[in-house]
Amino acid sequence: MTERMTDPDAPPATPTPPSEPPRLSPIRLHKALSAAWGTPPGLGRLSAVNHTVLGKRFIIAAFVFFAIGGALAMLIRVQLATSETAFVGPDVYNQFFTMHGSVMMFLFAIPMFEGFAIYLLPKMLGARDMAFPRLTAYGFWCYVFGGAILVAALVAGVAPNGGWFMYTPLTSSTYTPGINSDVWLLGVTFVEISALTAAIEITVSVLKLRAPGMSIDRMPIMAWYLLITAFMMLFGFPPLILGSILLELERAADLPFFDPLRGGDPLLWQHLFWLFGHPEVYIIFLPAAGAVSMMIPTFARHELVGYRTVVVAVMAVAFLSFGLWVHHMFTVGIPHLALAFFSAASGLVAIPTAVQIFAWLGTIAAGRPRYDVPMLYLGGFLAVFVIGGLTGVMLAMVPFNFQAHDTHFVVAHLHYVLVGGFVFPMLAATYYWLPHITGRACERRLAVPAFWLIFVGFNLTFFLMHLTGLAGMPRRVWTYPESAGWDGLNLLSSVGGFLTAMGFALFVMDIVVQLRFGRRFRRNPWQARTLEWATPTPPPAYAFAALPRIADRADRLDPGAIGVALARGEGYLGFDRDGRMETLAVEMASGAPQQVVVLPKPTYLPLATGLATGAVVLALLFKLYLVALLGLAATLALFLAWTPSCGARADSGPLPIGMGETAPPHWEAARPPSWWAMVFTLAADATLFGSLLFGGVFLAVVGPAVPAPPIVLPPALLIGAGAALVAGAAAAAFAVRRLVAGRSPAAALLAALVLPLAAVALLLPVIGGLGDPTLHASRAVTFVTLAYLILHALIAALFAGFGLWRMRAGFLSATRSLDLRLGALWHGYSAAAGIAGLAFLCGLSLLGVVLPAVPGVEGGPP
Amino acid sequence: MRTRHPLALVALAAGFGLWLAAFILLYGSLSVGCRLGWHRIELAGGLTLQRAQLVALFAVAVAASGGLAVALRPVRPADEPAEGFLRPVAFRAAVAATAATVVTFAAVLVLTTCR
Ligand code: HEM
Ligand SMILES: [Cu+2]
Repeated sequence: MTERMTDPDAPPATPTPPSEPPRLSPIRLHKALSAAWGTPPGLGRLSAVNHTVLGKRFIIAAFVFFAIGGALAMLIRVQLATSETAFVGPDVYNQFFTMHGSVMMFLFAIPMFEGFAIYLLPKMLGARDMAFPRLTAYGFWCYVFGGAILVAALVAGVAPNGGWFMYTPLTSSTYTPGINSDVWLLGVTFVEISALTAAIEITVSVLKLRAPGMSIDRMPIMAWYLLITAFMMLFGFPPLILGSILLELERAADLPFFDPLRGGDPLLWQHLFWLFGHPEVYIIFLPAAGAVSMMIPTFARHELVGYRTVVVAVMAVAFLSFGLWVHHMFTVGIPHLALAFFSAASGLVAIPTAVQIFAWLGTIAAGRPRYDVPMLYLGGFLAVFVIGGLTGVMLAMVPFNFQAHDTHFVVAHLHYVLVGGFVFPMLAATYYWLPHITGRACERRLAVPAFWLIFVGFNLTFFLMHLTGLAGMPRRVWTYPESAGWDGLNLLSSVGGFLTAMGFALFVMDIVVQLRFGRRFRRNPWQARTLEWATPTPPPAYAFAALPRIADRADRLDPGAIGVALARGEGYLGFDRDGRMETLAVEMASGAPQQVVVLPKPTYLPLATGLATGAVVLALLFKLYLVALLGLAATLALFLAWTPSCGARADSGPLPIGMGETAPPHWEAARPPSWWAMVFTLAADATLFGSLLFGGVFLAVVGPAVPAPPIVLPPALLIGAGAALVAGAAAAAFAVRRLVAGRSPAAALLAALVLPLAAVALLLPVIGGLGDPTLHASRAVTFVTLAYLILHALIAALFAGFGLWRMRAGFLSATRSLDLRLGALWHGYSAAAGIAGLAFLCGLSLLGVVLPAVPGVEGGPP
Repeated sequence: MRTRHPLALVALAAGFGLWLAAFILLYGSLSVGCRLGWHRIELAGGLTLQRAQLVALFAVAVAASGGLAVALRPVRPADEPAEGFLRPVAFRAAVAATAATVVTFAAVLVLTTCR
């Protein structure tokens, strides 16, 4: 059942497996595991890597940012309450709505769901932690530091002011010479690091870190939602990150990607942004829908109707949402046929969304529904979200869109979707899982009036915006004339806004009251049937004293009985092995136990690495490029410092995992979590690269036809570099084979180190011979493509060097080849990207020759 | 519980993956064709090169997606729980994706291509 490196030449594994650690009484087991998994007190809290701790921190930080975004919303409503208000001028107003939108999207919604995912996932899946605890911590610090940079800019009066989607040329240095745009580009990219780390973490954790027996068809439905959302993030965020890098390069180094006078195109930004931006809307909605799919069955006392259909629907939403980004650009002059594709996809996406709603309603209809506070909030969710969906379908129709584009109708629509689709479900989720976090039961006294204030206030605020929008009130205007006749509606809308805010204040009070005075309960106050309720509440750091064996779908369990058995240590890993932090990895589809994953202890390294990364961001912001380079080196060095605690210096062979079974430690397995993490990282990286190539083709084909200066690409150098990269990848793969065969990989590793460096040496003169990259966008694209390949070759060399270091330090053996296999993956990708990139450059320079020669093409012969 | 190849999971996404590939291809070749003036090259009977290539791509996309759905159609009851899940789910997704392909791209049959 276990998956090992199988090689005939490999030396036999340790013949006698070590015996199982002794069984302890429940109390002593609890003490031993708490000692192993706990976070140190005092300042030691900064070293936390535990998912329960970090999940809570994510949730709290996200709520703080929600309060900041909400305060900005109130200021906006003050300004718009009457015509010609003298409260703030256009400069400040622009910062207000840009920051409100950006904070809500990037600093509240995404991190909030990440927090819930990090806190809940391991407990729902029957694992003791996420796959990469230190990465969780690093992501948290990146998030908090990035958010702090944005908020500090707001306080300093230099916050971003180009709208949350930062359209060029408004945000280019011509029209925004200050650092406002840079704050957004760098700050948000910094925060996106945490989104990507969370995406990788969630993907791998759901696929690998489940309780034995929880095959893929038994996962709790929320795990499906989060898995699919995490995949969307892996492919949705890279275009935005690329766009931000390109725009920052344009602002800092004058590379004209978006400048139409030099062959760039502002529309490229719009494409890259919305290629991210629309999936983003679903990235926000789907986790909330996942939470809804957990709560409704509990309160309906009936399992979710149509589990499989819901899985298909969520997948359909995920894919379709990548094919409708242009509906934000209907008015920019794209051929009608293309608009038809995007319009159709936009309409289609409503179907799987409706399927989910029917599954929820069907579950309620089939069960014996029971009313409680979370259900009230879910009612609010359904009502508000359905209205938002309907106005969404209206906006998906091109002719209507032309009318309503950029009016307050859109503001109303997007809040109905976002507040309906995310805020209401998350409020419900808070009431639902708060007892899990605190160990105290939910009270109704304040929760109900808070709901009605929020619900009525929200609808008052935003329903009226449909009307002002149809009356022609544009969004993003700091004021409007009295003669427009919008005063009455706007005043009511602002009153509604303040009612909403009071509702949220009441909600916060309620939470505080419950934390202090809530009634204690033993376990599972809602009689839910999923595994997270089998932990003690509040949960201990190790979550489960033993891991259960799951024999049924994970929403048909009896958490009470399971919890009692697990606390006694009955199950897998129900013991303490030398104070190690262990959990199990399973085979993805079948859920058969496969590896013992040994997790890292608390450490300050994520904090230090986050600080170093933050230093890079700040240095870039203030254009201190030397400091930035130093910071980058420090960040890299710190990342390397993470590694000595990974792996082992001796072969261990299969370990007993309880229940009479054994499994090897993860570093002796063929496909440990980190292997998958590397695969997914490379997939995200490839998406970024693909977006760059898309940008190049886009500029060449539909961008403004400004004659490009010739691009000289010496074929010998390109072919040589490509060959060196491929040979390097082959050497890295060969090193793995040598090692697994029990022979020394040193020579092959050395080759894998030198060959990418040779490729760099060949590519540098190509960049040097390019001429001024600021002259034309095609040159700038060539420049960035080459820089990307060089960067990847350098990292490939670094991996090879790392392999040599690990070899010398004794971490490698025929059974412990993971480090080299990770490096080989990177090498392979670098070579593939190298071939693709160099071929692309040749094609691009050919296209530059071909296009102008086609008769009838703008810029070509008449 | 038999250990299965992780790629089996990819079948779940295959149907809509094809849809996305068709999307990229059709949108890309639409743009390239307009830029190269294929809509002004008449092949026969009012059929332009642009329309011909788009319709051909559309047909290929529908055929590929439909073919995938047929290949994933339900077979005899499977012996393994995960197996009995992955395949039916992949099948339903492929059917939905085929419908999505038809609806999304059918406009290539009628709308003007480059305006
Ligand atoms: C419940 C209290 C809220 C109120 C009163 C409110 C109010 C507003 C108003 C009036 C605008 C339009 C500003 C303008 O165009 O001049 C706006 C924009 C926006 N809001 Fe909210 N909002 C609230 C909550 C949220 C939430 C929870 C989210 C996201 C999860 C959100 C996301 C946005 C976005 C993305 C924009 C567009 C910003 C831009 O145009 O760049 N809002 N909000
Ligand atoms: Cu959209």
